[in-house]
Parts: sequence; structure tokens; C-alpha cells
Amino acid sequence: MSDARAADPAALLSERHVLVCVGSGGVGKTTLAAAAGLEAARRGRRALVLTIDPARRLADALGVGALGGDPKPIPRALLDALGVPPEGALSAMMLDMKRSFDELVARFAESPEVRDRILQNRIYQHVSDALAGSAEYSAMEKVHEMAGHPEFDLVVVDTPPSQHALDFLEAPQRLLEFLDSRIVQLLLHPAFAAGRFGFRLFQRSAQRVLQIVERVSGVSFLEDISEFLLAFEGMSEGFRERAHAVRARLLGPETAFLLVAGPAVESTEHARLMLGRLETFGVPLAGVVVNRAREWPDGSAPERVPLPGQDAEAEHALADALAAQEGAGFPAREAARAAIATANLYAAMVRADEAAGEPLREAVEARGMFWRRVPEQAGDVHDLEALDRLASRLFGANGGSRTP
Amino acid sequence: MADPAGASSTIPLLDRRLVIVTGKGGTGKTSVAAALALAGARAGRRVLVAEVGRDEHASRLLAPGSAPAGYEGRLVRPGVTVMRIEPFDALGEYLGLQLKLRAAVDLVLRNKAFRQLLEAAPGWRELITLGKVWHLEQMQGSDGRPRFDLIVIDAPATGHGLTFLDVPRVVVSAVQSGPLRRNAQLVEAMIGDRERTVLLPVALAEELPARETIELVARVRRDVGIGIDRVVVNALVDAPFPAGLEDLDRRLARLPAGTKLPGLPSVRTLAACGAHLRSRHELNAHHRDEIARGTGLPIVPLPYLATGVRGPEQLERLGAALVSEPSAQAAHGAVA
Repeated sequence: MSDARAADPAALLSERHVLVCVGSGGVGKTTLAAAAGLEAARRGRRALVLTIDPARRLADALGVGALGGDPKPIPRALLDALGVPPEGALSAMMLDMKRSFDELVARFAESPEVRDRILQNRIYQHVSDALAGSAEYSAMEKVHEMAGHPEFDLVVVDTPPSQHALDFLEAPQRLLEFLDSRIVQLLLHPAFAAGRFGFRLFQRSAQRVLQIVERVSGVSFLEDISEFLLAFEGMSEGFRERAHAVRARLLGPETAFLLVAGPAVESTEHARLMLGRLETFGVPLAGVVVNRAREWPDGSAPERVPLPGQDAEAEHALADALAAQEGAGFPAREAARAAIATANLYAAMVRADEAAGEPLREAVEARGMFWRRVPEQAGDVHDLEALDRLASRLFGANGGSRTP
Repeated sequence: MADPAGASSTIPLLDRRLVIVTGKGGTGKTSVAAALALAGARAGRRVLVAEVGRDEHASRLLAPGSAPAGYEGRLVRPGVTVMRIEPFDALGEYLGLQLKLRAAVDLVLRNKAFRQLLEAAPGWRELITLGKVWHLEQMQGSDGRPRFDLIVIDAPATGHGLTFLDVPRVVVSAVQSGPLRRNAQLVEAMIGDRERTVLLPVALAEELPARETIELVARVRRDVGIGIDRVVVNALVDAPFPAGLEDLDRRLARLPAGTKLPGLPSVRTLAACGAHLRSRHELNAHHRDEIARGTGLPIVPLPYLATGVRGPEQLERLGAALVSEPSAQAAHGAVA
């Protein structure tokens, strides 16, 4: 789904209220989310970066240290140094994936008794971690909550690093369908909770299904499940409304998604699969960023570099120059070969990254979305200058292609 | 409850029955699983790669251009079978074995309400998947030998991976009796068997993946009854320059900018290529040592491949490096 307004990534920062970075783990979503937050602040917006797993040194560099479940403002002095105008601000906050489902239960339970009954239910305790997508969904709940917060104009979020990166979109729907399903209504019926013979009263086919489940699983398990569902029923209405609101927010016009991929062929191919899936969901995807792509030093296409030993004249010239500089005793010939071999290898890496990104680039541009390659930094990105470089490549007016 | 570091590392990877490969997304988990399978087949093992998850990648790596192997599985190369364990298929098979009545199985699986229940219900996917693995491990060929000598599981990414392995224990503690409990106990015993089974974490030598790997190993030792005896550190960039010339890029950078080098990039470019690779190498080496120190485990280093991992050619290289046992010296150096 192309969106004319989205062709310029910088426009997203000033027009949208939620920016979601998606992509498989290890591609640098957290760092890019931080860079986006910083850039938005520089454009005068009050931005909040919601992160799952910040690099400790990056958090330190931002002057926030250990992040918690509440927004922590980046110190004003740092923002000034980074050229953030007085009206702009940047805060960061950690998404605690473990606690938030408990919070949801606490919020929607009709009474403290019901809340405790759910939280202490054996099944709940075991499933709350495992319920596919529930943690991710809870995280998106938080995004919804913070996006409605009057203190912030823009919420930037990096999604959980998992191959189930899209579960947060499916989870509410799945949970709602589950709560609506006939089998749940059967399980919720008090007669069933009263005893295993209660379901004699119900439709024959459902009854037989349950009997089979019972034979395979053991009845005490089913009873625990029905007790859990009974306790859950009271909160399902609030939960349902909330889930609809979260979904509407994430798929609505005030939100943009950014798909992030790594440079290697495994990652770009995975991103191409994700592109299709995001479309199926109707996600407002604005563009794709290939992060950490290697670049030839002067920003041009890599030059042809001979293999070591292939071009004796070139090797001589370099060895002579090194010998003249380093003096007698320096293994100039060996050094020249090593320098050429290294440049050759690096050129191969740059070409491999470019080739790996090509099919993805075609798919992205055919959809009218923006496409950015952000070069690999030599070290970890854990200082503000590195973050700054990243931001200018990602959102710079020069199309992010080359910076002087 | 875990073994002291290295206590069970005398068992080579290829002599296990079950190797569960896990790691953060993007670490090259699937490549490692496929490379291990290839190395196993080279050593004469009958290997099964079982993929867990929605997508099937191993067959594409092992036999580029081939169709997905699916739940039925397919021999993609001599000695290497690939399958994707689809929980609904595994459930159908399991119910068939339990109920011995195909009509009843169909009744259950075609029931819309039951499918909805399953879509949302937690835990069963993991349990049925591991149950299928147990079943595969028990299978025998017509010669009376195990159908598969080595089963390599391409497990979900780290966080989900641990949940995945923990489900049998959870079921055993949550379900008081019945066939479900008995099945979970069998699976739990298989996972906990320090001879048969090992968890193989795959890491990258960068800040976040390194930290996550250290946390993973700590969590496994604390919470999950599974053996773990080495860590694979993938995509390590080699030192670009030989010993004695480690800082060659700095010397190159000092050469006069106008130095004429016919047929070569400028000295600035040569220096920049070297500087980039040297700093990546130093970063990798630093985090590799952090992983060794933080886990106390021997490291299996795998080289970075500039071409990416596209097929059997690269898998062969990774596989050879993977099964050369981690040296005692590396392990010693790691904890020193």
C-alpha cells in the first residue's frame, strides 16, 4: 500500500503520531528507533522512544542509564548539544514484556477478587508467558496508551526481536475469536465448571469433541481451563473494546511502519516475505531500511581491485610507497599484498550486500515506498555522534544515499 | 542443576541424538543447523533437520531451488532429510495414534470451534512439536537402527526457544494425570538427557547478541533441564592483516594522498577498507571473549562469509568448522 505522503521518511517524523519499526531480530531496530526519536526531537517534536531491549551503552550515552516502565527524559544539556530546539524533547522508556499481561488483567478485572483468581490460576500462570503474541500485544497496548499521552507528539517503537514479529497484530484478533468461540461458551457455562458430567446437556458434536479432548488430555486440565475462562469472562468486554482501539490505532492514518532488514541475503529475503505479510494485514508500511549495509569508502560503486599477485605492477607501486615511508626492514612487499587482499575482500562484501538488497529494493520501489540503505558503522553504535550520523543518513534530504 | 562448564563437552556434536539449535534472530541459526546436518551426513550419519516455525529455510539452503519439504519431509541430499513440524499436522497424527479411530480425529480437527480454541490456546504447539521429535527419535529403520542418527532442530529465536523447551515441564506440573502428562514426561526425559540431547546456542560477536547469549545460557542453567556445552559464535570477521602488520591501515593512511597506484584504488580507499575490517575484527574479538567469559563455555568460531550463506558450498565450510571440536586451549583462554 503506497502512500504519497510516505515517500519522504522525514515527513513521517512530523506528520505521524506512531512510528513502528518492524523486522527480524538483530537488524538494529532499537538503534534506528533511537535515531528516529532524536531526529524528530530535532524537528521540534516531543518524541518518546519505546524500546524492548536497549543497548546498555546507548542508554548510557543518552544519559538515561537503566530504563524503567516510565518515560525518562533525555537531559536538556545533551539535547542542546545535539541541536534539539527548545520545543523539541526526547524521552525513552522500556517495555517490560513480562509484566504487562498481568497489568492488563489487573486493569480489566471487575474486582480485586477476580483479578487474584486469574493471577493465581494455575493455567494462567503457565500460559500468560506462552500465549502466542500476548506479550507482543501487551506491548502494543502500551504504545496505544503512550500515543494518547498529552506529553508526546510522536511515539517510536521497536517491536520484539522474534520471528513472530507479527504476532502482536494477530494476537488481539485471535484472542477475541477465541473468547467468542462456541467451545469457550461451552467451557464458560457454569454447568461445565460444576462437573464433567454437566456437558451432557450440550450439543452432541461439541460434547463429543470435548470428550475426545478429555480422553487425550486428562480432565483436571480441562477443569482448570474452564475455571480460568470463567474468571476471564468478566473482563472480556473491556478487553475487547481495548483490542479494537489498539488495532485501529496501529492500522490507522496516524501510524507508519518502517520495515528494517539486515544487509545479508538471508535477511533481505526474509524482509521480502514480511513485506507481503504486512500488506495482507493492511499495515501502513511507509518504507524499508536496509541497515548496516557495507559501502565503498568514497560512497561510489566499489572499484575493481585485483587479486593479490594478479597485478605485479600495482603491487610494486604500493610496496615502493610503503618502503619509502616505513624505511628499511619493513616488509613492504608483504604489506602491499595484504592491503590489496583486504581491499579486494571488502569490495566483495560491498558487492554482496548490494546484490542481496536488489530484489527487495525492486519490490519496495514497485510499491511506491521509500528505500534507504544505512551504512554499517565501524563499531557498535553507542555514542551520540554515531546516532547522529545514522539519523542523517536515514532522514537526510539527500535521500540517505551519500553524505559528504 | 546444570553441569559445570564443559563437563559434558567430551561428546562430539555428531554423536548426539538431538541437537537443538537456538539463538537470536539474524544470528544464522538455520545456516548452522543446515551446516551441522551436512557435516553429519559427511560423517555417515542419517540426519534429520526439523524446522519449527512458519517458514522453511533449511531445504532452500541445502538444496537451492527445491520445493519446501513440508510435514512429510524429504531427503534433500544424501543422508539429509528436512521437514517442517507443523503443529496441526502433528496433532492429527498424535490423535490418530491415541484414538485409533480416523473418523474421531477428523471430527476433532474439522470442528471449527475446536480449531478456534487451538488457534488461541497456548502451549500445545510446543508440546506437540516436541512430542513429534520424540516420536522421530524413537523411530527405527528396517535394519533395526534408529531411523535418524542425528536430529537437528532449528528452534525458534531465543526467547521463544526457551518457552518452547519449558512447556513439557510446565505440563507435567500443571496436569495431574492422564495421557497428556505421560507424554510430557517422555518429552521432558528426552530433553533432559545429558547424553542424548544438547542445546546449541548461536551468537553473533556484537554487543546485544553477546549479552543475550550470556543471559540465555544463565537462564538455561537456572530454569531449563537441558545440557549445553559450547556456544557457536558466527560470522567472525578475520583480522585483515597478518601478524606484525596489524595496524597496516594506519600506515596506509599516512601515505601521501597523491601516491600514484596504477590499477589500484587510492591509498585513502585502501586504508579505509583496512580500517573498517580491522575495527569489525576487533569488535568481534572483544565480544567473542565476552561471551566466553560470561558463559564459561568453549566457543566454536565460524567465519564471516562475504558471499552470504546461499547454498551447500558455504554450508560445507561452516559445517567443517562446526564439527572441529572446540580446543581445550580456547576453553582455557576463555575463562582465564
